[in-house]
Amino acid sequence: MKFLEDMDCAFPKNLQEALKLMADEKSRGRPIAGGTDLMVQWSSGVLPMPERAIDLSGLPELKGVSENTDSVVIGAAVTHAEMRRSPIVQVHLPSLAQAAATIGGAQIQARGTIAGSVANASPAGDLGPSLLITNGRVVVASKAGEREIELAKFFLGYRKIDLQPDELIVRFILPKIHAGCRESFRKLGPRAAQAISKVMGSYRGSAKGKEVKDFAVALGSVAPIPIRLPEFEQWIVGKEIGKKVLDEAEQRVAAMIKPIDDIRSTAEYRQWVSGRIVRGFLEELVAE
Amino acid sequence: MTVAENSRKGLVGRGVSRVDASDKVRGLARYADDLDVPGCWHGVIVRSPVSRGTLRSVKLDPACDASKAVVVTAQDIPGPNIVVMHDRAMPLLAFDEIRYIGEPLAVVAAPTRRQAIEVAEHVRIEIDELPAILTTAELVRKFKAGELKTGVEQNAPRGVGGFAGGAPESPDVLCSQSIVKGDVEKGFAEADQIVEAEYTAGHQEQLYIEPQGLVAIPQKDGGILIEGSMQCPYYIQHELHEALNLPAGKLRVRQAAVGGAFGGKEEFPSMLAGYCALPAMKAKKPVKIVYDRHQDILYTTKRHPVWVRHKTGVKKDGTITALKVDFLLDGGAYLTLSDVVMYRGILHAAMGYRCDHVFVNGIVGRTNTFPSGAFRGFGAPQAIWGVESHVDALARACGMTPHEFRLKNCLRVGDTTPTGMVLRDSVGSPAVLEEALKTSRFADKFAKCSRGRKGARKWYGIGLSFFAHGSGFTGDGESKIGTKVALDLGFENASPVVFIRVSSTEMGQGALTVLSQMAADGLGVDLDRVRYPLPDTGLVPNSGPTVASRTTMVVGSTVYSAACKLRQRLEESAGRPIAGSKSFEQIASKYLAEHGPLRVVEAFKLPDTVRWDQATFRGDAYPAFAWGCNVAEVEVDTRTLEIKVKKVTACFDVGRVINPVLVKGQVEGGLTQALGYAVMEKIGIKGGRFDANRMQTYVIPTALDVPEYDITFVEYPYEFAAPGAKGVGEMPMDGLAPAIANAIEAATGIRMTDLPITPEKLFKEVTTKCAKDAK
Ligand SMILES: Cc1cc2nc3c(=O)[nH]c(=O)nc-3n(C[C@H](O)[C@H](O)[C@H](O)COP(=O)(O)OP(=O)(O)OC[C@H]3O[C@@H](n4cnc5c(N)ncnc54)[C@H](O)[C@@H]3O)c2cc1C
Repeated sequence: MKFLEDMDCAFPKNLQEALKLMADEKSRGRPIAGGTDLMVQWSSGVLPMPERAIDLSGLPELKGVSENTDSVVIGAAVTHAEMRRSPIVQVHLPSLAQAAATIGGAQIQARGTIAGSVANASPAGDLGPSLLITNGRVVVASKAGEREIELAKFFLGYRKIDLQPDELIVRFILPKIHAGCRESFRKLGPRAAQAISKVMGSYRGSAKGKEVKDFAVALGSVAPIPIRLPEFEQWIVGKEIGKKVLDEAEQRVAAMIKPIDDIRSTAEYRQWVSGRIVRGFLEELVAE
Repeated sequence: MTVAENSRKGLVGRGVSRVDASDKVRGLARYADDLDVPGCWHGVIVRSPVSRGTLRSVKLDPACDASKAVVVTAQDIPGPNIVVMHDRAMPLLAFDEIRYIGEPLAVVAAPTRRQAIEVAEHVRIEIDELPAILTTAELVRKFKAGELKTGVEQNAPRGVGGFAGGAPESPDVLCSQSIVKGDVEKGFAEADQIVEAEYTAGHQEQLYIEPQGLVAIPQKDGGILIEGSMQCPYYIQHELHEALNLPAGKLRVRQAAVGGAFGGKEEFPSMLAGYCALPAMKAKKPVKIVYDRHQDILYTTKRHPVWVRHKTGVKKDGTITALKVDFLLDGGAYLTLSDVVMYRGILHAAMGYRCDHVFVNGIVGRTNTFPSGAFRGFGAPQAIWGVESHVDALARACGMTPHEFRLKNCLRVGDTTPTGMVLRDSVGSPAVLEEALKTSRFADKFAKCSRGRKGARKWYGIGLSFFAHGSGFTGDGESKIGTKVALDLGFENASPVVFIRVSSTEMGQGALTVLSQMAADGLGVDLDRVRYPLPDTGLVPNSGPTVASRTTMVVGSTVYSAACKLRQRLEESAGRPIAGSKSFEQIASKYLAEHGPLRVVEAFKLPDTVRWDQATFRGDAYPAFAWGCNVAEVEVDTRTLEIKVKKVTACFDVGRVINPVLVKGQVEGGLTQALGYAVMEKIGIKGGRFDANRMQTYVIPTALDVPEYDITFVEYPYEFAAPGAKGVGEMPMDGLAPAIANAIEAATGIRMTDLPITPEKLFKEVTTKCAKDAK
């Protein structure tokens, strides 16, 4: 058994220093931002304690939310609290702001970061669906330079992401919601706060009257990684929303996913309720 | 607290601030983990990795350097290897048969926790595994197959007279007991209809804020001082001194500040005290063990899982002709206190309603799981979960509304309970029922429930429960245990104060404040003339354990009467009355100067009229009953089947209310704990192990889950012990789960019979019902 006091911790002052430490196997360490996942995983023995941690929370390059014409740029070490309060995120990425506001409680939101959530890559990470519906990209860096990856391809499998041992996540580039589009986030948890999701989802879309013009939808906690439903999205575009289409939509979503039983919920409930959540999204999309 | 609130007149009945609040909010209160004991070592427990087996050996790997540590196994226990609870069967450290995963096999102690953990990792265990019973469901299967032999016939015997448990005949039975009134078969013959159903609930974890923690400190005289987090200091002394081979007096126990207990620190600390004391005696060093949250959830007692079957005869007009109840608790691997938990269960399983023919059959079954233990309500919440769900089914069978049926059948003054006790005094029924029905506007709202109506976005439902809770120990137990309190008049910084000497503990519930209020009122002084130091068995008489909703009623009234006597003594010696703190100071100072310190000792006495036969379970089951009625309003989201409890209206009769602010706090806290039991809290057994081990996976309500509470009291004081309080601590835990289940039925049209009621379970029932309706 290892103890916290056995672990070294490096405190680089800027990104360059951090990447230098990461470049060499001897100085490399486990990146730590808010520590809200790592501290729990280490103390419960879920994750072995590393020789060294590298604290990213003080790196100026990883902080801040900014915007350009089409996109919002969010630094890797931006916290959930910063996202939920950021007017830029609220206006241009409302689903992400909503999701950040449901994470843990005030204390966790104050420490936990966007990159920490993505790199932790838990199927129950609440930000996943809201990130996926933007068709956004993530920028990672190593001493050798930067690399930009589509978020949809960044999640590889259960707790696995496309990140090399010498790389750090530095920022997210997330296309803004267009005028006339709607989006929102829905989370089902075992209680009203401090709840790890049973199922959650986000959508972004537009409609003309009852007809669906655009529709992107993503779900979490129903598969090893957060998922989009591309076949469903293709099917629903152009449909007039009415009872029959909604019934069918619900069935189709349920048929597309294969969730599991775990301590929080059952496979059959997750499957059914995923369809119900998407039904709710479609109703909301075409609502007056 | 304001001066006005502390004014001498009528402290009882006022919402004075908690005496201990300031220290606690300023972080000055010292909990077990804060106790700074010089030279203290740390203990780590080595546990069984299997549910059942024969222990071949427990040995330290010879390659391990343990020169800085001690390792104790069963061989090191100075006395008999037992923790004396309600039987003498449970070992302190397993030595032969292992009966549950996590059963302690050895303790390692070392100067640091880290050293202790490192040595503990080198303790090698050899076990031959044996087959195990791991679930309550398996017990139920055996019960239904007639394989749980209890020593009592399972069919209702004819004729009046109770049955003692008798020696259990099957190894899977820890104990049994029945209650018999009239002749149920005759009652069933008189019925127009017979309604049968089964109700179940799993374990519930207490989840107090402060985990278990104790320190054992060797004393110069060869004795041991135990200090830390506990409800019942004398329990530790009584249950452990034999194993440690110490005369009781040499095992001294002192309470530290306690951060919540809920029954979880009733009997369990006796085990933990042993795991501290054994290495402390061997190493001759103080040894401390403080659990972290994982250990605390995995390796401490929980509420007993229950299976209860009701079979009830009713007439068309709603008269109940027969009540037959089978009540099965899963006791886990050892009896500990389970017999008394089951007794309280069966005493509440058919309470509340008039019926001449009652048969209640109680059994505690044995599984190879962590021993179940005390938890707020102590069997009553499990029993009331069953009966109050079932009463709604009875009402429906008779074509009556739930409130009409309850108003018609509820016990009133002059009625007899299942044990034959005639209700004469302090009966808050039907007052609590009428009051809660009125304040919640139940009848109007019940008519508007959704009952699973198609097309609605939300389903609304309202539900009700009505119940009694026996205050204090069963029968004449309160006389038998000889509750004793003392008041000491002495100086503190040259001014006279009165010290309350009781073994009753403050664990967050407010005992410190309400007992101080009663003492001050008895003396006729302000609160600041009264002290209530942390109990220490070396200094206080045994006022009994802090359990069974007895402290305010039994210990408080004894403190009050001791205070009245002390006042009388002082007034007699001075020849003038005490009129407030000023005159108390003059009179007491003079008395102390002339005579030295003064101690008044007082014992609690039940009235002579109390009759109880423990062998037949006939007579006055409790000194008094407190009464309660809960009304729950729920909303079910038809899109997701999420359940939201929106509002709870509750009315209680807890006798004389001593502190209206604290009593509301107790009620709100208890109702919230009951809310968790009803719709959230679940911990299963997977491969013999609890499947939740942290607060992320063991889900309790947060502040955002708490409904609107509307709480009122009606006061029917206990007449035999001034100032007339009855029990309150446990009752808020009793009735909310069935009220919510009844509300969910009114909302959805679906009867849920297993706790907690989750969207997942509701979904299963909805699908089954839809499939049935489609046919
Ligand atoms: C009480 C509690 C409640 C919670 N509730 C929720 C909830 O409701 N919903 C939810 O989704 N999550 C919840 N979480 C999980 C957690 O808060 C989030 O996943 C959080 O966003 C993690 O961020 P962090 O900065 O704390 O990550 P850390 O713990 O610091 O790191 C997590 C992982 O990310 C890696 N990492 C961090 N930054 C980088 C980077 N820049 N580049 C590469 N790798 C990096 C770390 O190496 C580690 O593997 C909860 C946690 C707790 C303790």
